[in-house]
Amino acid sequence: MHQHLPRSATRAVALGLAAVVALGLTACGPDIGSASSTKADGNLLQLPTQDSPSGEITIWDRSGDLYGVFDEAIADFNKKYPDVVVHHEAVDIDAKLQNTLITGTDVPDGVFLDDAKITGFSDYLWDLTDVLAPYSDKIAPQKLDVNSVDGGIYGVPFDSNPGLLYYNATALEAAGIDASKITTYDELLDASRAYKQAVPSAAPIHLEQAAFLSQLQLEMYASQLGTSIADADGQLRLDSPEYTQILTYLDTVQKEGLGTRAEYLSPTDIAEMENGNEVFYPWAIWFDFAPQQLLTETKGDWRAMPLPAWEDGGARSGAMGGSSFAIPRDGKNSELAALFYSFLMFDEAGYSAVWGPSDVYPTGLNTSIPSYLPAADPTAPLFEPVPALGNQDLWAVSTKASTEIPASVPTPTWWAGAVDYLGTNMQRMLDGDMTPDEVLKQSSDEIQSNLIDRQ
Amino acid sequence: MTTMTAARARRKLAPYLFVLPFVAVFIAFSVYPLIFTARLSFTNWRGTGAAEWVGWDNYTYLLTSPGFWNSLANSGALWLLIIPVQLVIALIVAVLLDNAKLRLRGFYRVAFIVPFVTPLVAVAQIWVVVFDTNYGAVNGLLGLVGLPDVGWLSTSEWAKPTLALLFLWKTTGFIIIILLSGLQSIDSAVYEAASLDGSTRLRTLWSITVPLLRRTLMFAVILQTLAVFQMFAEPFVVTQGGPYNSTTTAGYYLYNHITRADLGTGAANSFLLVIIVMALSLVFVRLLRAKD
Repeated sequence: MHQHLPRSATRAVALGLAAVVALGLTACGPDIGSASSTKADGNLLQLPTQDSPSGEITIWDRSGDLYGVFDEAIADFNKKYPDVVVHHEAVDIDAKLQNTLITGTDVPDGVFLDDAKITGFSDYLWDLTDVLAPYSDKIAPQKLDVNSVDGGIYGVPFDSNPGLLYYNATALEAAGIDASKITTYDELLDASRAYKQAVPSAAPIHLEQAAFLSQLQLEMYASQLGTSIADADGQLRLDSPEYTQILTYLDTVQKEGLGTRAEYLSPTDIAEMENGNEVFYPWAIWFDFAPQQLLTETKGDWRAMPLPAWEDGGARSGAMGGSSFAIPRDGKNSELAALFYSFLMFDEAGYSAVWGPSDVYPTGLNTSIPSYLPAADPTAPLFEPVPALGNQDLWAVSTKASTEIPASVPTPTWWAGAVDYLGTNMQRMLDGDMTPDEVLKQSSDEIQSNLIDRQ
Repeated sequence: MTTMTAARARRKLAPYLFVLPFVAVFIAFSVYPLIFTARLSFTNWRGTGAAEWVGWDNYTYLLTSPGFWNSLANSGALWLLIIPVQLVIALIVAVLLDNAKLRLRGFYRVAFIVPFVTPLVAVAQIWVVVFDTNYGAVNGLLGLVGLPDVGWLSTSEWAKPTLALLFLWKTTGFIIIILLSGLQSIDSAVYEAASLDGSTRLRTLWSITVPLLRRTLMFAVILQTLAVFQMFAEPFVVTQGGPYNSTTTAGYYLYNHITRADLGTGAANSFLLVIIVMALSLVFVRLLRAKD
């Protein structure tokens, strides 16, 4: 007589088997134990030693204009290194890179990354100190600083993004104001007051309304003063005289009605610039996209100059944003990726291909400048004067400004998380709900307890 | 005898072999991630290095964090702004579309589903332009009748209703389709009997259609409750969670942990969210059963 197992027993066995399989699979996850870095000795990448190396590399870039620029530059790379095949992929890097690095599956050989993200991924990246050694004394120090972690350098610096003061020269001249004489933020306030007197509807200075970008702009101002949200050890240094000075200035702009509150290039922002109410725009070099593409009414009226200084003789620029090229350690041909990026950034044929005229930018890539100083020679422009800026030589202005950017430190991994506190509290201040001191005190407490203490 | 035993064994084994592919996929893509996430929620893993066991720390952090409760409150407020309005609109439109005498029924059905299949990013850009405080069409219309400008997306008071409106516009068509399928399963004899009894249209709607559609309505409520609490793309592209985190939904708050590589807290947040949404769904199911 055949005996059946009771149904409940069968279920229990099936569930038990499923649990065993699932738990077995779970063991494939990260080790749980004491926290320690996975960085190993010998993670220094070297360039290939052959004259004409061969192989295939996969390179990730963000889709958009820069993808097109780099795509064209591959042909120039292959003229010098014909045996290296570059598979160039447009990828949503923010969405995909983290999982790819964690799983180690289909890891690219090289990837374009925001400078602020280099430190967070550094455990998965090659230390490029040796690759960059021949060039490091000719790279903008601030770019090496933001890519450095524990003495290693984890990104090939791409661009410098000096902060500039964009201004509507035509509107200001009509009001009898000579913007070229502005050298300090106090003088910028005076010029704005004078402009408002001439144009009562004006709120001349841009005040950023998006929390993320307002924090990014704050860091540009701080960079000018040689400080940043955290020091080289990751310790918060927000509650400081420098940040108080910056926030007090922004608070003054708001309280005196001298600022246009708007999100970067939102409909309000564009309209207020077009109608001559918003005439000063302290921003990174990449704002020049607006007069070239969006400001149809005032195209040609805008100009750029170095940022005003916080004190007489102070630095006339600070860094706002920026990107670099990282090389994951799990890539198949990391040395060739290093060769590719070295060519693009440090070989004249490479950086000329990137910043020079291309199908994407017929007069050259003018939304940033090279961080490699020989490429950023003020007397040897890679891109042409910009018609939307009245044919101003933006190359000369921005390369000179970039030399004024003080040294920096790596961006802490929690920087984006701080936007929930610092960026948001800044907006509260601009709405009149907080004082500069309250912003700094409360943001410091919140960042410390919610982000730093939980690292 | 041996042949019979082998045949019986094959027969017994067959059902298990048939379900094996599903079970394998289920374990790989549901059970395994679930257990992995549970394990992760007790660590401080940030996607790199070894994960340190932190016990209940992530859970206690979240449960004492104003940010977490704020995200739940935002989702709750959005639920209140969206679900009742959506059900009423979807029910009325579905009843109208169910009328066989309605001309261009096919056209209307397509028109109502178009927002649902339109890419959200494109819609969001339209929303940003139309609801701009100073130059948006909506404030332009308000200005024509002498009303002041409203900070639709720039004030914490109005950002949630504006986001709710986007969600309503985008997803109501889908709910209409669900209710329409429910309506078409109602026996027409019931309506004929009501008509013979002299029931008005409103009475028929309230006393016949709604009760017979209750299961479908509850299904829609559960579906949209899940969608509202997981809502991410709308605040991501329209308000980035602002102003003042007033549109940081539960889904968006969770996303922030993940993208900032705080994977342990993100995993704990996922579990808390699952528990809350499951509890809400059970309440709705219980309500439905009570009525039955």
